[in-house]
Amino acid sequence: MGKKKNRNVGIIGIGQTEYSSHKEDQNQVEMVNEAVRYALEDAKITLDDIDCVIHGNMELFEMIHQPDLWHSLGSGAFGKEQLRITTGGTTGASLVCAADNLVASGMYDVVMAIGLEKLQEGHTTGGITNMADPLWFRHLQTGALTATTATMMMEEFGEDRAKRAAMKYRIMIDKHACLNPRAHRRFGLEYDQAEDLMNTSPQLVGELRLIHMCSQSDGACVMIFASEKKAKELSDKPVWIRDHITAHREETFNCFGLDMPEMTHHYAARTLFGRNGITDPVDYFDVFEMYDPSAWWGLDWLRQFLLLEGDEHIRMLEEDEFDLDGKLPVNPSGGVIASNPIGATAMLRPAEAAMQIRGDAGPQQIKKEVKHALASGFGGTMWTVLMMLEKDLDW
Amino acid sequence: MKRVAVCAVAQHKCDSNLWYKRFQGMLLDVLEEIQAQTGMDFSEETGVRTIITASDDVFDARTISDNGVTDAVGGQYREEEKMAQEGLNGLGYAMATILSGHEDAVYVAGHCKESQPESVNMCTNLAYDPFYGRAMGLDYTNVAALQARDYMEKSGITEEQLAKVVVRARQWASRNPNANAQDLLELGDVMYAPMLCDPIRTTHAYPVSDGAVGFLLASEERAKDFTDNPVWLTGFGTCMDSYFLGDRDLASNFALKKAAERAYKKAGIKDVKKEVDLVEVMDCYAYQQPMWLEGLGFCGDGEGGKFIDEGGLAKYNVNLSGGMLAGNPIMIGGLYRAAEAVLQLKGEAGEHQAADVGRAVVQSTTGGAGQFHTVLVLER
Amino acid sequence: MAEYFGSKVEDIFNTMEERFLPEGTQDVDVVIGYNVSGEGGGYWKATIKEGTLKVETLDSEPADCTVVLNATAETFVGVTLGKSDAGEALSSGDLRVDGDLTILISVLPKAFRPFTPIVRASSIVESMAERFRPDKAEGVDIKIGYDLAGDDGGAWTIVVKDQTCTIKEGLDDDCTVTMIMDAKVFVDLNLGKIDGAAAFTSGQVKLDGDIAAAGLSAKLFAKFEAEGSSEIQGEELISLKCVPSINQRYATGPLMGKWFSGLKDGKFYASTCPKCGRTMVPPREICANCRVRADGFVEVGPEATVTLIDVVHYASPDPLTGKIRQTPYTALFMVLDGCSRDESFAHDLNPKDINDIKPGMKVRPVWAEKRTGTYKDLLYFEIAD
Repeated sequence: MGKKKNRNVGIIGIGQTEYSSHKEDQNQVEMVNEAVRYALEDAKITLDDIDCVIHGNMELFEMIHQPDLWHSLGSGAFGKEQLRITTGGTTGASLVCAADNLVASGMYDVVMAIGLEKLQEGHTTGGITNMADPLWFRHLQTGALTATTATMMMEEFGEDRAKRAAMKYRIMIDKHACLNPRAHRRFGLEYDQAEDLMNTSPQLVGELRLIHMCSQSDGACVMIFASEKKAKELSDKPVWIRDHITAHREETFNCFGLDMPEMTHHYAARTLFGRNGITDPVDYFDVFEMYDPSAWWGLDWLRQFLLLEGDEHIRMLEEDEFDLDGKLPVNPSGGVIASNPIGATAMLRPAEAAMQIRGDAGPQQIKKEVKHALASGFGGTMWTVLMMLEKDLDW
Repeated sequence: MKRVAVCAVAQHKCDSNLWYKRFQGMLLDVLEEIQAQTGMDFSEETGVRTIITASDDVFDARTISDNGVTDAVGGQYREEEKMAQEGLNGLGYAMATILSGHEDAVYVAGHCKESQPESVNMCTNLAYDPFYGRAMGLDYTNVAALQARDYMEKSGITEEQLAKVVVRARQWASRNPNANAQDLLELGDVMYAPMLCDPIRTTHAYPVSDGAVGFLLASEERAKDFTDNPVWLTGFGTCMDSYFLGDRDLASNFALKKAAERAYKKAGIKDVKKEVDLVEVMDCYAYQQPMWLEGLGFCGDGEGGKFIDEGGLAKYNVNLSGGMLAGNPIMIGGLYRAAEAVLQLKGEAGEHQAADVGRAVVQSTTGGAGQFHTVLVLER
Repeated sequence: MAEYFGSKVEDIFNTMEERFLPEGTQDVDVVIGYNVSGEGGGYWKATIKEGTLKVETLDSEPADCTVVLNATAETFVGVTLGKSDAGEALSSGDLRVDGDLTILISVLPKAFRPFTPIVRASSIVESMAERFRPDKAEGVDIKIGYDLAGDDGGAWTIVVKDQTCTIKEGLDDDCTVTMIMDAKVFVDLNLGKIDGAAAFTSGQVKLDGDIAAAGLSAKLFAKFEAEGSSEIQGEELISLKCVPSINQRYATGPLMGKWFSGLKDGKFYASTCPKCGRTMVPPREICANCRVRADGFVEVGPEATVTLIDVVHYASPDPLTGKIRQTPYTALFMVLDGCSRDESFAHDLNPKDINDIKPGMKVRPVWAEKRTGTYKDLLYFEIAD
């Protein structure tokens, strides 16, 4: 029994800047404006058609209080309704969920969502450390880097197989990134470099090596959403938001005990698929844009999200099933590992997935028809946002 | 127009220095009160599965400030989204979440402790762009002072009229157990107080405050599961003004008028003077009370002073909570206004209860000199 | 090999293909012969037809050419680089053209991007002496090794001590850090053509030794400027650097207050959930699962069972002080005795146990001698015997 939506919501416009670590030639307002223009162009509408603007980023990275006020100079929010929703790393995805709620409610017909970050303007690791409680955890500085997943995977699957799988995932992702003209980091890695990188890439924490980690990028992503009626009027290929779920967790990273609680990824997947009657997600979905902060997490979470058991996910990776021409392409965009403008990153996932459905994702387009897409967001203390996009209104 | 029920509200008493509680403790007190009033829980089938929080990373000095309080708002394995503007917008967003069909019950909880940072002005200074506004030392206080001067000149409002506003605010605050500044003041105390930031006097400004507020909202169908005395959210509107002060007509109420228009349209209000019984405005500084009332349409442009002298404040039950002037944290000042409106409509406002309140308008601002306004309409 | 004005004759021909501009030669059909005499000279032929270029190195004088250019190596390089005036060279006979000179004058500028001297890894290393910034080297005593592979490569040791810099050939045994890469990667890094962080992450640059010293070395030398590169300057970008700072006064609240006073007494207190019995460490006001107020405290530990171990090689800087901890250090996840099985607690490991610690072991806390009720009271955990 899925959610009974008041009315359907379609994605009618997508705009992205390039992602890089050197956007010194633009200030935040200009960067927002660039993405807004691209999105309006893509949707073939003007600012007049927008009823409400929603905005999000992680303001402590750039140390601006209420940045949407300043960004209004470039966001087009002047004179319009505007809301600001921020949920850490999941912000971009939360903005998509919020846009869905706002349009479905009937209160707004056309909503424009803006996610952005200019990490080069602040201190990213400092900003992430600030997430921890100031009196106790901040001083332990375990931050966002941990090798616990790598350790557990090596224990479960054997050190060699696990390390090779993580590296294969990493190289596959880089190959996807090399196709994406907007991706930040495109190294041109080859599979025969796996052995060397596995052993020589500098260690960050345990087996979590530099090569596995995601990027830190500047960039903005804008998406435009419309009610079913308006979407059909304004666009010839709207992408429909079928359903979404968010699962947060308590404040502390206390999930490494003798027993481990269910991960929010798994909870979100089984709840979302359960209420939509999807019993075999690998079979159902044509693409999965997953928020992968590192190769280890990306690989581990495939099992969580796709409700797999044992080593199925590793086997699928080893058999190239997650490649662009595989059974379930994962991160054709290059994922978070390639580009990570944090406030926008989680929006890039549904954005790239939507472009795959539309068939205009560019060089990273999957050749087979893409009708059903899955996109995830991650942030905070292991929070998950998971959403389903559809090509046709037939569920 | 579809409507959403406000089933219950709980306020943490505002205090200038809640040194003995942290956010989680304040929010738990609020949650317990809501649970006691409504019996709500967070069960997957019938409970609250979506929470909207309101807080600010700069004021909390914590990246992802909602991360620190997820447990205290019931967010474990549930949806939680942070409204990163003044909290009243959270009620509007909750309304959309319910009307969309995505949820049928939403818990809204905001928190802020202005006593935590060494200076509220240092926090709001960070809202200004680093190259110009920030370097000039702009903050919400001195920017409000610019607007106050412009408003005073255009409207001719007098020191005495402003003083009446403050005196009255304290009188009502003294009847509100949740208000911060409850000491009564005389006209002279206000009129001859030293300047804080000319023309805003120390007595015209709201005191530094800590607080937390929670609301339980539900769809029409589910309201009865939580209360037999619901209040209805029928209108919501917002509007953003220009960023640079020089681009704005500071005394024009441009954004507020548009926000109000949008909210009234959704609520089906044609003539606010005839159809509304109670108003709560977010008056951080005394001049904002008459100015926002003009913007909301309770009196004409420039007539705020007249409105005060002719008993308009009593007629429309303005700020019976004591208003923002009595002290609420700026990031949830609007939520406290809404809390008052809800209590009044429910008939649960105790010593500060007005008679026969059928419909209320609530307003809040975000940003300096009201760059962004939010208007909410509630009715019985 | 002979060099003139820092370049070799063959450099000019070896770079012809990458400097070729097809769009400027759409209606050009010409064969240019080159007869360069003197040390480093030779014979070459460039055929431009239908927007394509073919460059050939010949054993003897070029034949079947539309036009032939004759010059000494020095003149040829000098004129190509703009160091010598072409007109003067033609007048003096140092440069002689057989065939229609106007073809050369009209074709060459459209067909090729100007030649700029190839930057050699060795010249970049040698220039470090003059690019050295003594003001940044106060208190610095390091040796940086460069191990550059390839034709253009070599090995050098840069010694920075007492605010002076010396460049030696070869790699010293005791380099603080050695940077290992292809000479071409080294050149491209210095010319800004590739990004340092990307090169390091993707394995194009390998570091042997103290990684921090590598980062330091970048600050010790001014940026390398290739000859001729400063002719085209972009506009300077304005950037503002500032550190906003607002002091905070955090409330602990009663629960964290109990935790800290417990630390002062060398004890761990967890808060408990009246419904599910869960223990929360450090204490929290509410049980996240049951959504009820935690109603009591229970003393837990002091020993704990280790579940997972993180050996941290890259530490994040302390957000308040900017200081970076010594690495590697070990962070532990553990379950304190008496805690519920799913409540993990994180803290550091006594550095002396870094090689012996394993999951499943029991550890015990090590307390600071003087305790005042802050996070500093608990130093770390160590293996319990």
